[in-house]
Amino acid sequence: MAKAFFIDTTLCTACRGCQVACKQWHDLPAEITTNRGTFQNPADLTFSTYKLVRMTEEVIDKKLTWLFFPDQCRHCIEAPCLETAENSDAIYRDEDTGAILYTIKTKELDAESIISSCPYNIPRKAEDGTISKCDMCNDRVHNGLKPACVATCPTGTMNFGEREEMLALGEKRLAEVKEKFPNASLLDTDEVNVIYLVTHDSRLYHEYAMAPQSRKSGISRKVALRKMMKPFASLMRV
Amino acid sequence: MTNHWIDLKNSDCILIMGSNAAENHPISFKYVTQAMQNGAKLISVDPRFTRTSARADFYTALRSGTDIAFLGGMINYILKNNLYNKEYTAAYTNAPFIVGKSYGFKDGLFSGYTKGKPEAGPSLGGYDKSQWAFEMDENKVPMMDRSLENERCVFQLLKKHYSRYTPDMVSKITGTSEADLINVYKTFAETGAKGKAGTIMYAMGWTQHTVGTQIIRTMAIVQLLLGNMGIAGGGVNALRGESNVQGSTDHCLLWHIWPGYLKTPSASKDSLSVYNASATPKSYDSLSANWWQNYPKYSVSLLKSFFGEQATQANDFGYNWLPKVDDGKAYSWFDLFDKMFDEKIKGFFAWGQNPACSGSNAGKIRKALEKLEWMVNVNLFDNETGSFWQGPGVDPTKVKTEVFMLPASVSVEKEGSITNSGRWMQWRYQGPKPMGDSRPDGDIILELGHKIKELYHKDGVLAEPILNLKWDYDTNGAYDPHKVAKEINGYFLKDITIKDKLYKKGTLVPSFAFLQADGSTSSGNWLYCNSYTEKGNMSARRSDKDAVNNIGLYPEFAWCWPVNRRIIYNRASVDPKGQPWDKDQWVIKFEGEQKDGKWVSNKWTGDVPDGGWYPLENPDGSKREDSKYPFIMRKHGHGQIFGPGRADGPFPEHYEPLECPVEKNFLNPQRVNPTAVVYSSSEDSHATCDPRFPFVGTTYRVSEHWQTGLMTRPQPWLMELQPQMFVEMSEELAKLKGIKNGERVKVTSARASVECTAVVTKRFKPFNIGGNLVHQVGVPWHFGWRWPSTGAEESANLLTPPAGDPNTRIPETKAFMVNVIKL
Amino acid sequence: MNLNRREFIQVSGATAAGLAVSTLGFDLKPVKSHAQMLKTKYAKETTTICCYCAVGCGAIVHTSKRGDGRVINIEGDPDHVINRGALCSKGASIKQLTENENRLTRPMYRAPYSTKWEEVSWDWALEKIAERVKKTRDDGFEKTNSKGQVVNRTTSIASVGSAAMDNEECWIYQALLRSLGLVYIEHQARI
Repeated sequence: MAKAFFIDTTLCTACRGCQVACKQWHDLPAEITTNRGTFQNPADLTFSTYKLVRMTEEVIDKKLTWLFFPDQCRHCIEAPCLETAENSDAIYRDEDTGAILYTIKTKELDAESIISSCPYNIPRKAEDGTISKCDMCNDRVHNGLKPACVATCPTGTMNFGEREEMLALGEKRLAEVKEKFPNASLLDTDEVNVIYLVTHDSRLYHEYAMAPQSRKSGISRKVALRKMMKPFASLMRV
Repeated sequence: MTNHWIDLKNSDCILIMGSNAAENHPISFKYVTQAMQNGAKLISVDPRFTRTSARADFYTALRSGTDIAFLGGMINYILKNNLYNKEYTAAYTNAPFIVGKSYGFKDGLFSGYTKGKPEAGPSLGGYDKSQWAFEMDENKVPMMDRSLENERCVFQLLKKHYSRYTPDMVSKITGTSEADLINVYKTFAETGAKGKAGTIMYAMGWTQHTVGTQIIRTMAIVQLLLGNMGIAGGGVNALRGESNVQGSTDHCLLWHIWPGYLKTPSASKDSLSVYNASATPKSYDSLSANWWQNYPKYSVSLLKSFFGEQATQANDFGYNWLPKVDDGKAYSWFDLFDKMFDEKIKGFFAWGQNPACSGSNAGKIRKALEKLEWMVNVNLFDNETGSFWQGPGVDPTKVKTEVFMLPASVSVEKEGSITNSGRWMQWRYQGPKPMGDSRPDGDIILELGHKIKELYHKDGVLAEPILNLKWDYDTNGAYDPHKVAKEINGYFLKDITIKDKLYKKGTLVPSFAFLQADGSTSSGNWLYCNSYTEKGNMSARRSDKDAVNNIGLYPEFAWCWPVNRRIIYNRASVDPKGQPWDKDQWVIKFEGEQKDGKWVSNKWTGDVPDGGWYPLENPDGSKREDSKYPFIMRKHGHGQIFGPGRADGPFPEHYEPLECPVEKNFLNPQRVNPTAVVYSSSEDSHATCDPRFPFVGTTYRVSEHWQTGLMTRPQPWLMELQPQMFVEMSEELAKLKGIKNGERVKVTSARASVECTAVVTKRFKPFNIGGNLVHQVGVPWHFGWRWPSTGAEESANLLTPPAGDPNTRIPETKAFMVNVIKL
Repeated sequence: MNLNRREFIQVSGATAAGLAVSTLGFDLKPVKSHAQMLKTKYAKETTTICCYCAVGCGAIVHTSKRGDGRVINIEGDPDHVINRGALCSKGASIKQLTENENRLTRPMYRAPYSTKWEEVSWDWALEKIAERVKKTRDDGFEKTNSKGQVVNRTTSIASVGSAAMDNEECWIYQALLRSLGLVYIEHQARI
């Protein structure tokens, strides 16, 4: 059974412990940044930044709202990047955890097609063409620990466990927050193993918070074709 | 904190005002969130919308420096609508006390005021506080009217004082809409109901004003009226900002107090007996515990820890070896740097602190450092203080000051304890060894002490205190924190029998109840007596077993002062019969046996009670003679709604900040606190209602940096998140000044100007103050020229004013006037 | 086995396959391996309390038992009753505070009117400081004040700091300063 995250944005305070804990565990270097007139930094995910708390100020129903969105790889159930790569030495799924993992062999892939295949705009490439993103702290998970971003979260925003358990938690929290936020929703639950709870239109949080319909149905012609072929492919593997 | 971090989860309404807990105490939100998930309401009141506000049920803004008006309005609302907890207020607070006839309040001044003389010091004025005394009966016990009806009782005076704080008046001052004020008042006042708990989380947003102490008193009055003191999920909670600022305060690295909040002796206290007599309050009420009556036990035990065997009855335990301050004179931070600027101070230790960025009007501090002969700077990193001689605009070849910069170890490289804001003392262990040649502070202090002692062995002026100072805190040549921790706890210095039990010489004292005034015990800090006993190091405990009341006290995890009591004033959490106001989330409970309507055996359960006496009343309602009032640290045993000890008045009153945007105080003719301290050297200046500085300025912190930034600016991971000095302003102000988001601007005050990146945000909004539009901006005080190495980011404290609170002399860095200029 | 979570961290590490790994976000191994070994497996584990704000969060420090003996990892202590493993951005960066190339590692001295720092020995620095303290104190020592009252103090030396020190360090520091007769003793709590 796959593991999953449940990210409850209604509880996030943007303390960004997750952002630093991720760099700490992975020994990732800092980006050189400037203040761009916002607290959000870096501006976007990078090759060395797998986790980013996106911050948006919006006036909704005449009330100022500061939306926080801890963005990361969704570890898709059917991952377009993996399918686009067609190279399991470069991108593969850990069947025990459901983590989509990138190896150093991603250097041999066409980075642009991998990146553009992602409906959530997550992977980032280094100058040498290697691609990276969140690895679910797969080493920690295999050793009974929670991913660094989850372990460090004070408020219960970041949750991790069996997919069924996370789905149940998500549904429970959705029902609770619906009273106050009738437009609350869980994002793309059927497609991803990182389930977000948001209280407003997902586009207010981030352009790619939710997969666009177009990309969900046909990320690229190649992947779409392969999806159609999938039943046969699995038969052939047997 | 009267309560502690985990206890926040027990609250029904959390007011976060004067702090930004989500950003500056992020893990507190673990418990704020839990409380909210159990139905608690979260209110955020702040001049700008913060990450705390983002999670609040209700947010509203107020202009910086108007908190007393805001909260005074809450007192008025509570009293007018009879929302106070009458039983609690009448029984446990000084609301029933009758105030003497000489007390009065007129034109913004309390009775007994004298205007200050500039040549006498920085105070604008002072009060003869004897005019605010309570009326005493023939037994010298305060006269009371528990019905609260006497027109000169505290309750009636309170009612009269705050009747002026109408929503209309408050709104005019604070810029908060009347509807928002009422909403906050109503929501918070609901916690006055029995079984409900409201709490306040505040920090420097309240202390750093010329009226800082009185802002906190205003809230303390609210909490007493609502019966929120002593209960689970209640209290007055100061969120302290540094990992051990609680412990360093308890051990009194402060001019006016000795370890355990004992008084620094002044020159007129020329013997230990005179000193003890003046410091020991006397109560004639048999129901008042008057805990400070034990003062001589604590002061003598402290002297025994200072001087060991050299402290004897014959030499007053070495009392006169220790320095005395002049009566009526202050030696605070402001005064210290004022004297240094005046070349009166020649040698200086900046030990684990960065005053070149942390002190208000830091430009004066930087100039003062040039006037020193020598300075010792101990730190983890090079910093703006240690390197002041090569700072911006300084020519090193003109600076005489000799500087020693010593490398200290990071906390994970050494062993010892720190005390958190909830008063929990927690032990830390050594991970890696000190990096390079760095050393733990303890080793540096100990070795320096040895070297100084060596010199005085040869000769020296008044060498006795130095030579007699007990200094045996090493083991195998290295500093031993366990030895010091035991000394702080204290020892029996001879065999003593107490209550038929023999305590052997050389053993550790079990708790401060055993300390003696005859020199037979030592204790470096009576408040910590019980922390390291014959049972071991209490602060190292790790049990996650909760107490019987299951409210998150975790009594066997670490240790907390006093005597491991997790919620102080907890005897106010029960009714006079000893039964909790809140039956579900109770703190303590009396479970003695009763016979014929009387308690016949004594048993408390739950937290460590604030004294184990019987309850005030028997089950049949009859009064007991062997009980004590719950506020045991107060002379008269009652929570102080009327505070006759404060420098600026027994009731808080709204005064404007020294620098403010209004020509007059709408409430009274005194614009500024008439007792504020204001400094006036050539490097001190201020400007009120000056068109050159039209906007209100305030300083604050962000999650990603810490204090002056010295322990966060050298870290790339944190600099990635918050790389540059910035100023936050409203879209309206940005438009007015033609400033674009993200561009560099200059913020100027009467003291200096600092370059910042403009953060134009909806989170700041202009205020309507008495019909005028008032803009406010905010700057973080985390930056300084040394890091980042560009040297382009400077300290917000270059801008902040030379004025402070009359009780504490804490500077007014939260409200001052600035301009913002496009570069 | 009835283990608390921290013990679990230790034993679970021991059962993982002993493969060389990187904790970078991509897998450097040519062959896929799911059962990775934790980088903290062979580390010494100690507990600490966060050095930033006063919430008092617990953290676990993993120090290498080999090589330079430096810190490998610092993360929230899941068995600490306050933070239960959580840490904010500052707390999560204590490793970088400790293992930081900008740290002072040698005593430094700047002579009057000099434009530079010089490295000096601890002995030299502490001896010189002790001499300065003695001279300044003794030169300006006030046995009595202007009213003739005994005060036994020096107002020529001042100290600020530190809320960043441990309790025990604070206590011996104030004891030393007070024995010398200092009255200008202040720290972070005043500001």
